[in-house]
Amino acid sequence: MRKYETFFIIDPDLPDETNAVVDTKIQSIITSNGGEVLTYVPWGKKKLAYAIRKRTRGLYVLMEYSGGSKLVAELERNLRIDERVLKFITVMLEERFDPEKEKERKAQALLVPFVEEEESAVAPLGGEDEEEMPEDFEVEGMKDEEDEEDEEDEEK
Amino acid sequence: MMTVRRKRRTFARRKICRFCVDSDLRIDYKDSKTLRYFVTERGKIVPRRISGNCAKHQRVLTLAIKRARQIALLPYTAIHML
Repeated sequence: MRKYETFFIIDPDLPDETNAVVDTKIQSIITSNGGEVLTYVPWGKKKLAYAIRKRTRGLYVLMEYSGGSKLVAELERNLRIDERVLKFITVMLEERFDPEKEKERKAQALLVPFVEEEESAVAPLGGEDEEEMPEDFEVEGMKDEEDEEDEEDEEK
Repeated sequence: MMTVRRKRRTFARRKICRFCVDSDLRIDYKDSKTLRYFVTERGKIVPRRISGNCAKHQRVLTLAIKRARQIALLPYTAIHML
């Protein structure tokens, strides 16, 4: 049994009942194929970094589950067919899944949904964090456009 | 060819890898707030000599950034914004 997580985006314009339908459908795919859903956390609507199928916002859902390797192929096949799911990505977390350790993991995992933000996806540097770095590397020479092209020319 | 050698900044600053120092920091593709520090305004990944990461964490970070781009948490390029 392996532990996977799938992070996917659902069309945000759908009514809530449809979202519930999609939720149950996906969870039933997992359980009917011999897996077990560990967590299912809808993250909420967020502005996408780029438009997907002409939509600028999406409803993110994070799902952790355990199962065999064939389960993933089956799940992805179903997600691909479903038109309400815009994008998905599946990551394997653990090769050997141990149900007792799952409780410690739950505390650490990024299950906290994010608050809906109105700003652009690439925010300007200079956040409120403890990291002092951002000003540094802007000065240091991350000049995107002109300088990099110059450097490439000179090195030839 | 070049006759004039441009002065290279040979001393890359002795920056420590923040992930090696603080082992609580986990690199996760879902954590776009942390990942944004390692991406330029245009959306490009910051090279290691500037960000100061060690090789191992730079590889992990690059993978996380590319995954985040796939799931539209980070943009591929700034042109999307227009």
